Amino acid sequence: MTDPGSLVTLALLLPAATFFLLALAYPLRRRGRAAGIVSLVGAAVALAAALRAWQLQSAEGFTRIVTEWIPQESGSLATVGVLADADSTVMLVLVALVSFLVQLYSLGYLATEPPASLGRYYVYQALFAFSMMGLVLAPGFVQLFICWELVGLCSYLLIGYWYDRPEAARAAVKAFWVTKAGDVGLLVGIVLLWLRAGTFDFLELYDLVRAGQLPIAGLGLVTFCIYLGAVGKSAQFPLHVWLPDAMEGPTPVSALIHAATMVTAGVYLLKRTNWLFALTPDVLVLVGWIGAFTALLAAVLACVQSDIKRVLAYSTVSQLGYMMAAMGAGFAAAGFLHLLTHGIFKALLFLGAGAVIHAVGSNDIYRMGGLRRHMPQTTIVFLVGTLSLAGIPLFGGFFSKEEILGAVWSGGLSVPFWMLVTAAFLTAFYMFRVVFIAFFGVPAAPAPLAQGAPGGHGAPGGGHLHDAPPVMTLPLWLLAVLSVGIGVYFTAHHGEPEFSAPGWLTPLAIAVAVGGIAMAWLTYSRRVISADLLAEIFAPIRRAALARFWLDDLFEGLYRGAVLGLSAAVGWVDRYLVDGVVNVLSAWTLTGGDRLRRMQTGLPQDYVYGLAVGLLLLLIWVQWPR
Amino acid sequence: MPASVSLQGYLILAAVLFAVGLFGVVTRRNTIGILLGIELMLNAVNINLVAFARFNGDPVGMVFTLFTISITVAEVALGLALVILIFRVRRTAIADHLDLLRG
Amino acid sequence: MSLEPIAFGALAVLLVASALAVVLTKNLFHSVLWLALTLTGTAGIFLTLDAEFLAAVQLLLYAGGVVTIAVFAIVVTERLVGDRITQTSRQIFSGLIIAGAVLVGLLTFILRAPLTRPRPPLAGDFTRAIGDAVLTRFVLSFELLGMLFLAALLGALYFARPDD
Repeated sequence: MTDPGSLVTLALLLPAATFFLLALAYPLRRRGRAAGIVSLVGAAVALAAALRAWQLQSAEGFTRIVTEWIPQESGSLATVGVLADADSTVMLVLVALVSFLVQLYSLGYLATEPPASLGRYYVYQALFAFSMMGLVLAPGFVQLFICWELVGLCSYLLIGYWYDRPEAARAAVKAFWVTKAGDVGLLVGIVLLWLRAGTFDFLELYDLVRAGQLPIAGLGLVTFCIYLGAVGKSAQFPLHVWLPDAMEGPTPVSALIHAATMVTAGVYLLKRTNWLFALTPDVLVLVGWIGAFTALLAAVLACVQSDIKRVLAYSTVSQLGYMMAAMGAGFAAAGFLHLLTHGIFKALLFLGAGAVIHAVGSNDIYRMGGLRRHMPQTTIVFLVGTLSLAGIPLFGGFFSKEEILGAVWSGGLSVPFWMLVTAAFLTAFYMFRVVFIAFFGVPAAPAPLAQGAPGGHGAPGGGHLHDAPPVMTLPLWLLAVLSVGIGVYFTAHHGEPEFSAPGWLTPLAIAVAVGGIAMAWLTYSRRVISADLLAEIFAPIRRAALARFWLDDLFEGLYRGAVLGLSAAVGWVDRYLVDGVVNVLSAWTLTGGDRLRRMQTGLPQDYVYGLAVGLLLLLIWVQWPR
Repeated sequence: MPASVSLQGYLILAAVLFAVGLFGVVTRRNTIGILLGIELMLNAVNINLVAFARFNGDPVGMVFTLFTISITVAEVALGLALVILIFRVRRTAIADHLDLLRG
Repeated sequence: MSLEPIAFGALAVLLVASALAVVLTKNLFHSVLWLALTLTGTAGIFLTLDAEFLAAVQLLLYAGGVVTIAVFAIVVTERLVGDRITQTSRQIFSGLIIAGAVLVGLLTFILRAPLTRPRPPLAGDFTRAIGDAVLTRFVLSFELLGMLFLAALLGALYFARPDD
């Protein structure tokens, strides 16, 4: 059990075992906490295995264990198994770590849930962990796609965990539908690729590409279709609309799925297949542009949100855009690095927000205020996460964000570069807006909070403004320490970048981040700049942002129009053509029968007429060919 | 006048008789009248058969005629008996009134 | 000039005229009598065709039997119904049309066929030939004919039985 291959297999199968155990053993599942402990133990062992595998894994080598799944005449059509290399093992560590921490945190956050529901929650968590790991370790497109879909299913199940809330149910369905649109593209791309290459396996495809045997013609369509899957899953424009609504699910779920793991699957996919995308530079340029645009768009949208989770959701969309932009510039490693660091501090931010929501009973930042006096620990860790996100040196996000900016600049995408810089400014601004309003400043009126205010989106607890119990703060501190640790590590061991960044890049990045913080401080803390004046200056943008740029309405209108229009058309065809044909035939039969029945007069002489006519016809027919 | 009448002559005669019988069948109102028309048609058929038998030299036509005559006699007897029975029940001679089989 | 065409011509005229009379006479009884004449004429036609046996059969069965039965039937029904049976005709026009059409059809058919050969000479006695054929080639049909008569007889007995 000392090679990476078996270790990752163990890590993969543990959550699967937990899932089956919890799903089938109803008595165990019925006791919520016990189910949680079982799941947690499995997650802990999986994390240990993943860490060991990562440690053992060298940078260049890989271990591949596959078994045949669908046979065909020569070789196998589809295989399942694990492919452990540098990328997959480190991603596996991220998944296992965040999964473990979130499950631990959930024991506290969802402590007031009915035990049977809590058991159900852990079943879903186990399934998700298994699916995500299966996706990360997939040796080929078939397993990747299956796990892709499974992960989407888990997202649906977990967003709609509180299924008796209509908003949650709607959000879950919306997430499913929107990502499904992208998944269709992915499936088409996979099949098209198979038609060209004859294989689903990553290694075989890589060999084909390296030997130059993959035909380039029309490959752009294939990579674009594969990219569509990433657009859906990683919430790129225009399929980003599901992620903010996905915040209806419990906060730990948002931390796990919609920050660190599932939404990064698209980025991971592009990293996995970047040797394929390298063959189609046009598609990569598109990826870069859309990524940068998404980053800027989401940053603008985040500036006007008053729900703390929605701010974080748009922030996630924005950061995903960053990662994609780096991918598009051709430097996938930079995007991947940001994926890893962002996973850590975004999970931290979400879990911290969860602690706040748990204490305050509401998601609305205007109902919070001055929290640092009552929740010092939470304030510190939240601040660590915010500084990482803003890209301040010595914190986790700084280095990876600077790498991305350098990569995009070197890749020659200048307009996207400036979009990203603007987004960086806005990122710092809106995050510190939240910090200054919620953690500093004057507390909001406390009275309505204690009664589970209408703004409290079913968040458990409320009304007790103190730091969370240890089971929740432990993960927070762990993530905060990791975040700072990563920052310090990269500052100390500055690796050799793949590109040459211009000298003014680092100062620009720092200046932009500090500038954003300063702007937020002036506006929301010192109140030197009036927030209302800012709102007036940017009024049209603000209004558009509040309406989410009408994208949701557009989609809804399209959906309504397309689906309902199609149903109306189909219904019309069914009623008037299909039924119509049948009805007409039966009507003709009836009237025909009515008319023909008059022939039966009952008088034999009339029948003799018929005979005579028949005889005539016979005579004519016999004589016809003359 | 030809030396002897050809087959066509006999056939034409039979055709004329047949047409007259047909006219009688569809026109007559009394049931017995209809039966008389049928008799005419059968007669025409017999003439046809015998003529062919004579002109082909094969007696089979005549045997057939024998059979048709016999069968016709039986049929007429029973048919008239039926007519009488119907008249007993329905008290009408008009064929138009016997339309129980009307669809 | 041989006798045959003259005889044929006379008989033909007689036949057609009496047939027309059968279908056109208003009095039913007269119709039957005209039918008797028609049947006799047919017997004459048979004679011109050298079918003596059949001529005799025709006279015996048709002109004798059928006409008798018809007369009896008329008398009985007249008594049943209680008034003189008159014949009125229906839809003469369409009847004419259809009969005429059939006639025309048949005539065209006949006239197109190559049937103008004169009759072949008599190859033997037809009566004997009929007898031979009936009892050898057509013996089965002959026997079945007997069965048919049996059935007719039974039917007649059934009809004739008194109502209990």
